[in-house]
Amino acid sequence: MAAVKKTVDQVKALEAYEHGFVTDIETEFAPKGLTSDTVRYISAKKDEPEWMLQWRLEAFERWLALDEPEWANVHYPKIDFQDAYYYAAPKEKVGPKSLDEVDPQLLETYKKLGIPLREQEVLLGVQGAPKYAVDAVFDSVSVVTTFKKELAAVGVIFCPMSEAIRDHADLVRQYMGSVVPVSDNYYACLNSAVFSDGSFVYVPPGVRCPMELSTYFRINAAQSGQFERTLIIADKGAYVSYLEGCTAPMRDENQLHAAVVELVALDDAEIKYSTVQNWFPGDPVTGKGGIYNFVTKRADCRGDRAKVSWTQVETGSAITWKYPSCILRGDGSSGEFYSIAVTNGHQQADTGTKMIHLGRDTKSRIIAKGISAGASSNTYRGLVSTNHKAANARNFTQCDSLLIGKTCAAHTVPYIEARNATAHFEHEATTTRLSEDQLFYAQQRGLSKEDAVALLVNGFVREVLQELPMEFAVEAQKLVAISLEGSVG
Amino acid sequence: MSLSRALETGDLAELPSRRDEDWRWSDLRGLIRAIPPASPDASARGEGPFAAVCSETMLVINGGSARIHLAAGEKKTIALRLISRAEGTSHSADVAVTVAEGAELTLLESHESFGAGYITDVEMDITLGASAVLERVVVATEAADAIAVTLARVGIGAGSKFAQTTLAIGAKRQRIETRLAHPGAGAAVRLDGVYLVGEKRHTDLTSTVTHKGEGGTTDQLTKGAVAGQGRGVFQGRITVERGADKTDAKMGHHALILDDRGEVDSKPELLIFADDVACAHGNTVGQLDEQAIFYARQRGMTLAEARALLTEAFIGEVIDRIEHDGARDVARTWASEKLRGLT
Repeated sequence: MAAVKKTVDQVKALEAYEHGFVTDIETEFAPKGLTSDTVRYISAKKDEPEWMLQWRLEAFERWLALDEPEWANVHYPKIDFQDAYYYAAPKEKVGPKSLDEVDPQLLETYKKLGIPLREQEVLLGVQGAPKYAVDAVFDSVSVVTTFKKELAAVGVIFCPMSEAIRDHADLVRQYMGSVVPVSDNYYACLNSAVFSDGSFVYVPPGVRCPMELSTYFRINAAQSGQFERTLIIADKGAYVSYLEGCTAPMRDENQLHAAVVELVALDDAEIKYSTVQNWFPGDPVTGKGGIYNFVTKRADCRGDRAKVSWTQVETGSAITWKYPSCILRGDGSSGEFYSIAVTNGHQQADTGTKMIHLGRDTKSRIIAKGISAGASSNTYRGLVSTNHKAANARNFTQCDSLLIGKTCAAHTVPYIEARNATAHFEHEATTTRLSEDQLFYAQQRGLSKEDAVALLVNGFVREVLQELPMEFAVEAQKLVAISLEGSVG
Repeated sequence: MSLSRALETGDLAELPSRRDEDWRWSDLRGLIRAIPPASPDASARGEGPFAAVCSETMLVINGGSARIHLAAGEKKTIALRLISRAEGTSHSADVAVTVAEGAELTLLESHESFGAGYITDVEMDITLGASAVLERVVVATEAADAIAVTLARVGIGAGSKFAQTTLAIGAKRQRIETRLAHPGAGAAVRLDGVYLVGEKRHTDLTSTVTHKGEGGTTDQLTKGAVAGQGRGVFQGRITVERGADKTDAKMGHHALILDDRGEVDSKPELLIFADDVACAHGNTVGQLDEQAIFYARQRGMTLAEARALLTEAFIGEVIDRIEHDGARDVARTWASEKLRGLT
C-alpha cells in the first residue's frame, strides 16, 4: 500500500510528461538528409576504422533496396527520411574523460530528468550510493560512462559503442550483426548504416557483473533521430543485469528512434535486460508530435543452458514497434519476456516478442500486460515457434489487456508454430475493462476514482513489476500511473 | 484476390500468396503453377455421409450453383453434397442459403471426392433472418492431392442462432474459411472445428467474426491432431467494433502433435475496440498425457489403442457440441475412422 500511496502522490505532483524540456546546448549536426555521404560523415566523426565504414556503406546500399514494413497495426504518415538529421552531438567536450569535463548544462539536464535518485547520485559521483554504472547517451554521442575502472578490474568491459569499435574491434567484429543481421528488417538495416552511440558490454567467463549496468538515452536536438546500437555479450557462466531508460523533449514534430540491441549469451550465461521506455508520447489531445520508436531487440542464447530475460515497461512514444526476441539455440536454454505496455491519448503500440526454440529442452515464458486508455491502440503480437529438432520445447504465454474508456482499442495477435511432437505450448489471453465491482469497493473504502484506478492497475501489472530491479520498479510504477492520468471519468 | 478470381480470370497473380498475412501458412501462388482446365459434367456417386439421417439432398457436382431458401417459420434438415469427380481439372461452386425470420435449418454439408489432382473452390453466402436458427455441419473429405478452398460469408439477424462444426482431413492444400458479421442484439454464434491431418496433408481452418452491435455472444472451439507430415493451421479472429459492448466472446484452439513430422500453426486473434466486453482465448499445442496413456495400458490396452482412445476423447469434446443427433453420430463415426488412420 505504501508504494501505491507514493504512486498516487507522485501522480498528483507531476505534470503529464515531466521530461519534455529542451536543453539549450550548442549542437553539431550532420548535413540534413540521408546519402552515402551522411554515412561517411558519421563514420568519420566517430573516427572509425575502414572496416566499420564499409559495413555501414553496405548496409546503406541494402537499405535502399528494402521496402518499409506495413504489417504492424500502427498508422502514421509516410516518413520523409531526407527531412531529418542523422547525427547530432553537443559541440563541446565530446567524450570527456571525467565528470569534471562534462558540460554543466548536460549535468543539469540529467539532474532534471528525474531518473531514479540513486542512479542520479551515482551519475554525479556521490560517495556511498549503491552502485549503478551509467552510460549516458545524448543525441548521437555518449557523454559519460561511470564506473568503468571498477568494472575493468573484474574484466567487465562497459563503454560506448564508438569506443568499443576502436578498442575492442575483435569482439565487435565477431558479434555485431550476428544476432540481428544487417538486412534483418527495414529499420535494423537503417540503423546499421547510420548508428551512433549505444553501449557495449562484455562480461568475461565466470564473472558475475558486480553492479547493475544502465544506459540512459536522451534525444534533445530537433528534427533529429536517434539510432543507437547496443551489444551485450555474456561469456560462459557470466551474469549481467542491464537497464535502459529513455526520454525526449516535447515537440510537435515526430522524431525517429530506430535502435538495434543484440544480446549474446554463451554456455550457462545469463542476461537480464530491463527497459523503461518513456519517450515523448505526443500531445494527448491532438496526437501531434512524439517519438516513433521502431526498435529491433534480439537475444541469442547461443550456449547450452543460457538464459535471457527481457522486461519492458513501455509508457512513452507516439508509436511503438518493438519485439524483443530470444533465439533459444543452446540445449536447455531459456527465454523470458515480461512486458507492460501502456497507451493513452493517441499513442499506438504494436509490441510483443518472439521465442524461437531451436535447441533441445528449451523453455520460454511470456507475460504481457497491455493497458489502453484515451484514443489509443495497443497490440500484443508474438511468435512462439519450434523446429523439428527442438525436442521438449516448453512455452507458457499469458497476455492480458485492460481497456479504460470507450475510444481505445486492445488487440492480441499471437502466432504459434509447432513442429515437434514433444513441444508443449500454452497460450491464454483475456481482454476486459476494470471491474466495476472492484472500483466500487475501492471507492467505498475512501479512495477517489483516480486512486482506485491506480490501485487496480498496479495490481494488474504486478507480475511484471516484480521482475524489474528494485530501483526501476518504483520508477515504472510511477510511470504507469502518470501515463494513465486523465483517462478516468 | 482469391482462388475463385484466379479460376475465373485465369490470372495466377490473383492467387493469394504467403505475403498476404491471412494466407501466410496456406500459400496458393507458390503451389498452383497453371490454372487447370474446367472440370467436365459428371454424375453423382454414392449416397453421401448424411444419407441415413436426412431425407432431402441437394447435389452440386464439379461446380455449379445451389440455392436453399427457408421461408419464415419453416423447419428443415437438408444434406448438401458438394462432389468433386474430376482428374486434374478445376471447378467452382456458389451456394446461397437464406433462412428467413424464425425458420430453422440444419444443413449437413459434405465435400466428397471421387477423383484426384483437382482444384475446387466453393463460395457460400448464408443469411439468417431475425430469430432464425441454422446449424451447419461440414464433413470435408478431399483427395490427398487436391486443392480445396471453401469460403462462407455469413450474415445473421437479431436474436438468431448460428452454429457450425467443420470436420476436415486436409488435402494437398485445404482451406475452410468462415467470415461472419455479428449484429450483437442477442444473436448467438458457435463456431467449432475438428482437423485430423496426416500423410502430407494440409488443412487451414480460418474464421473471422466481427461483432458490430451490443450484446452478442461467440463461442469458438477447434481441436485437431496431426501426424505424418500433416499440417494443421488454425486462424481465428474476433473483432469487437466500437459500441459493441456487452459482447461475450471466447475462442479455444487445442492441438495434438502425434509424431515428430506433424506441424501445427495457429493464430488466435482478438481485436477489441469496445471496453465493456469479456473476451478470451486459449491456445495449446502438445501431446497426449503420458499418465493417461499409462493408466489405459495398465488396464489392458495396447499403446495404439490407448492413444486412439485418448485422441478420440480429446476430439470428442467438439463433436459432442453438435446439436443434431444424427449428424453428431455421423461425425463421431467419421472422426473415429479417420483417427484410426492417424494413430
